[in-house]
Amino acid sequence: MKEKKLKNRHSMFSNIFFFVKLLFEISPGLVIGEFVWGILMHVPPRLIGVIGVKYIIDTVESGENLERIFVAVGIIALIVILSNAFTWVFREFFWNMERERVYYGLNKKLYAKARQLDEESYDNPDFYNNFILTIESSSDNIQNLLGLVRNYVGNIILLFSIGSVLLTIDPVCLVIILFFIGVFSPISKKIGNLQMERRIDNTKYHRRSDYFQRIFYLQDYCKEVRMNDISPLLIERYNDAAEDVVKNQRRYFKKIDSLYMIQESGIQIFGFMFVLPLYLGYCVLVKNSLSAGEFVAAFNGAFSIASSINFLTVWAVAIFSERGKMIEKYREFLKADFKIRDGEKNAEKGSPKEIKIENLSFTYEGNSEPTLKNISLTIKPYEKIALVGYNGAGKTTLTNLILRLYDPTEGRIVVDGEDIRNVTVDSHRDRFAAVFQDFQLFSCNVGENVALDKNYDRARVEAALDNSGFGKKLKSGTETELLREFDDEGVMLSGGESQKVAIARAFYKDCPYVILDEPSANLDPVAEYNLNRAMTEASDNKTVIFISHRLSTTVHADRIYVMEKGRIIESGSHEELMEQNGTYAYMFNLQAEKYKDKM
Amino acid sequence: MARVYQKDHKRVPLFKNVVFGLKLGWDADKRLLIGYLINMIADQVFALYVQNILFLQMLLGIIDSKGSFEQYVKTLLVFLVLSVALKAVNWYSHYLRMVAVKNVLKKVNNKIFAKAVSLDIACYEDPAFYDKYQRATDVLAWSLFDSASAAVAAIIASIISLALVIGTVTSIDPRYLVLLLPSALVFVVEVYKSKVVYKRDKEMTTNNRIKAYIQRTVFLKDFSKDMRTSNIFSVLMVRFKNAIDSNVEILRKYGVKLFLYSAVSTLFGEFIPVIGTYALAAYQFVFTKTLTVSAFSVVLASINSVKESTMRIAQNFEVMSRFAYYFQNMREFLDFESKVADGSVKCESFESLEFKNVYFQYPSAKKPTLENVSFRISKGETIALVGVNGAGKSTLVKLLLRFYDVTEGEILLNGRNIKDYELASLRGIFGAVFQDYRNFALTVNENLMCHECDEDEKKKAEIALKHSGVWEKISSLPEKGDTVLTREFEKDGIGLSGGENQKLSVARLFAKDFSFAVLDEPSSALDPIAEYRMYESLISVTKGKTVLYISHRLSSAVLSDRIIVLDGGRICEEGSHDELIKKDGVYKEMFTLQASSYNKEKEGE
Repeated sequence: MKEKKLKNRHSMFSNIFFFVKLLFEISPGLVIGEFVWGILMHVPPRLIGVIGVKYIIDTVESGENLERIFVAVGIIALIVILSNAFTWVFREFFWNMERERVYYGLNKKLYAKARQLDEESYDNPDFYNNFILTIESSSDNIQNLLGLVRNYVGNIILLFSIGSVLLTIDPVCLVIILFFIGVFSPISKKIGNLQMERRIDNTKYHRRSDYFQRIFYLQDYCKEVRMNDISPLLIERYNDAAEDVVKNQRRYFKKIDSLYMIQESGIQIFGFMFVLPLYLGYCVLVKNSLSAGEFVAAFNGAFSIASSINFLTVWAVAIFSERGKMIEKYREFLKADFKIRDGEKNAEKGSPKEIKIENLSFTYEGNSEPTLKNISLTIKPYEKIALVGYNGAGKTTLTNLILRLYDPTEGRIVVDGEDIRNVTVDSHRDRFAAVFQDFQLFSCNVGENVALDKNYDRARVEAALDNSGFGKKLKSGTETELLREFDDEGVMLSGGESQKVAIARAFYKDCPYVILDEPSANLDPVAEYNLNRAMTEASDNKTVIFISHRLSTTVHADRIYVMEKGRIIESGSHEELMEQNGTYAYMFNLQAEKYKDKM
Repeated sequence: MARVYQKDHKRVPLFKNVVFGLKLGWDADKRLLIGYLINMIADQVFALYVQNILFLQMLLGIIDSKGSFEQYVKTLLVFLVLSVALKAVNWYSHYLRMVAVKNVLKKVNNKIFAKAVSLDIACYEDPAFYDKYQRATDVLAWSLFDSASAAVAAIIASIISLALVIGTVTSIDPRYLVLLLPSALVFVVEVYKSKVVYKRDKEMTTNNRIKAYIQRTVFLKDFSKDMRTSNIFSVLMVRFKNAIDSNVEILRKYGVKLFLYSAVSTLFGEFIPVIGTYALAAYQFVFTKTLTVSAFSVVLASINSVKESTMRIAQNFEVMSRFAYYFQNMREFLDFESKVADGSVKCESFESLEFKNVYFQYPSAKKPTLENVSFRISKGETIALVGVNGAGKSTLVKLLLRFYDVTEGEILLNGRNIKDYELASLRGIFGAVFQDYRNFALTVNENLMCHECDEDEKKKAEIALKHSGVWEKISSLPEKGDTVLTREFEKDGIGLSGGENQKLSVARLFAKDFSFAVLDEPSSALDPIAEYRMYESLISVTKGKTVLYISHRLSSAVLSDRIIVLDGGRICEEGSHDELIKKDGVYKEMFTLQASSYNKEKEGE
């Protein structure tokens, strides 16, 4: 397992190149601009500090044609102005806007990929950690990497230009500089690895502390927290997680910063502030092979080179290798395999066909017990099917499999004679309208929330809302925004109203099959009654599978399947099952008896 | 909208807020600021003065005066020792602040939690307030304490190195100081620039919120199924694109101004000092011949240092003024006074409850949700509250638990206005199960008992679990009641189904030592048998206690002593099941409707 992982890894530069290429594809202007900016930011000022100063000092020492100095100053002024002008224009007009666009381009890719991922991925904590890390760090990556690349390019050009100047003064300086860099720079890689490890560890601990932070922040939990004296416990748990973060920080600090300390002392202090000036001083004072102007030029040049080599090999490598690992995760994520794969064919919407479930078994990853055991059933076109049974019997899992949110461990599901794994996922799911038990409303307008699409037919949305019994008058009709996420005028709906919006989705969607998971859980008796009627009328031309604990809603189903512990224990129409006098009859009577003799 | 920004903008005092932020960080862990101060001063004085100027000046001095090589080496050694010492100090201060920053995070979060728990529920429904909360947490998420301490330390360090550099220049030729003066203007320009940046960023807030929301919908499990089985993703992506486009427009709009500020800033901070120095030096070289080569080199290096320090001060100032806005929000959040004010009387038991002409209107609503509601409940009664969706049932419960206070009228508990009671003790006598019940990523037992449990309490929890009908499931788990809920953090955690979760929150009620139980649709996710058993145990467990429950299952209303029917925010009927059936009103209509569904045969006849 580990070996396989290693093989798939890319080198640091391959990763950086990959990402820069990705950025270049989205915005060539931004990447090129960054390069130019980097060069203009680093090269002219430093080069002036070396060549310009040497020229001026040499001119002064030679004592001839002193007015040449004014020409030199003029040229310097021109270079400074021109290079700055480019920077202003680029940064204020182009850079900011382009970065925003790049963020969009990059995340669009990520999100599209995220949507393709298997539902199962959300159950796997390791994968999920990486997933969040990747998505959250994408804007970080743009920002940091571009800045880094900018400085990298600038420093490389600088290195070459000053290196060649220095070479003409005294090649030994260059040898000394390279020696120290060579000795101490391998530490950078180690630092980069440790930083990445720290980041991953921190994500793990932060995820835990973030969870507890969220409990206090989210509206969902605020009532429970106020009514139960649970906040001390939650805070304690938060503190435990936060304490882990502190410990982690301390542990890594010792390793990382000690390495930095060794490296910086070695290169910066011992190399550039001691050995190099020692040599230069020796040349000037003992050997008399260098002039004062050359000393200053060599000194400034050496420091320029020192700081850029320091940047290129020490800082950049450490940061690049950390970033490289983030990008590796990014690539891994983009390449991530998913189990729910497209088939060859396109499923057709058309009219309802037969759905056949054959010897279906399913075990959730990490569970030892299967949730579904050898289920077989046939749903004929236009049938209204009810799934009933105890909590945890596997009803919702069965519908998840029908929608291909998971694929079966054994057995198969056949729609219109074709295994659903043989058609594309999107075209398969497009045949279904699904209302989940834990449905979500989105911060979009009502029309979009019902149609779940950006183009919607207003009249049909209104009709769907009518059918689901959503009677609330909205100010801007179907264009009214739901939730207050970004719109202060957004409408907050009650539990029952939200459910009606969710149910309206099923009425709206033009498709042959409908799946409803507990559609009436939050509805009042009148709304529930109306919903039942609307369901039978409006979905006359559809196959409907619904899960319900309200057995009054199952009475009219064509066929009822009773599930227990992952198996189907009874099936038949209401009358047949009542006659059988088994679990269904027991459940039904339990609910119904309270209504009898009470009138 | 624009006016609001303007007003808001003026209300953010920089100094006061930064001091507030620093103090909060200081109170949490002093090592943070101290670490940064040592760190920055050692770092900047070293880089901008010792290494850049003093070093060159000393060495050139020896060369200029034709000193001995031995003297030169000695000087180098002194610098070597000094530099290593500075590095060591730096290392230690870095250590201090790295640990301190996480400690500050922890402590300030604790403060925020304590505040959050004391807030009115209404705050969570008010976007303006929620924004403040969001920004208060952003302060932590973005380590603004860290950055603010760093900024202050950097400013102080820059001022110190600036003073040292100016001293050096003065000793060479005070005339060069004149050329440094424009650098001071950079500071002013940068302040103006930061105001523009702040305004620009503020305009982008909503768009950035949309970006964050889209990101969340992508990675939270809650949304995953709807995302996969529908086309809502495309809707969200359109929103995402619009937010980006709108941000680009805003950035474009502010680009011109920022361009001008940048130009002026570079002119004062870089062009005039640098080119001026070259020009003045050239003048001295050519005409007055009063400048030595070494003095020229040192002055040039100094100009560089001055430029660096002033830029650093200006930048950090800008950084701080950006933070001020976030700290302001945090301060307002921490200073927030709840509208639901705490009373002083301890609430110890329950005798009676009375709603007297209660009116209630949500802050943003146009008409009241409850109108003139009056009723009385005495100890030991079991009351069912029924009515169509939106009739005001849940709101009534919220008023009772003081999540909101009444708009008009009063609620009396044991004959005393509930506002007089200490909130914690008032809520302490109630046990509640909400429609949108939630459980926590803690162990099952902890979810029930609300703290870490000893063996006795685990026994208690077990009984509650049995009553709510979920013990069978829990006892089948290897760790039983010690199993952690959700797989979010523990690989062997357990993900419960909707119905099991609901049973668990009912078990929490059973485990609590309450006098008055309030249940809002406690059986919505339960299967028929579980529902039946749940109500059975509810009746038996709450014997002698008072119960108020909301249910759409009118079969369960039959079990109550009295039924209160709400319609459009008013009580329209009240009485026992039999009385209400006789009355032939709203209740009977609903009951008949629901009953008829169970009676297919009759309908067919």
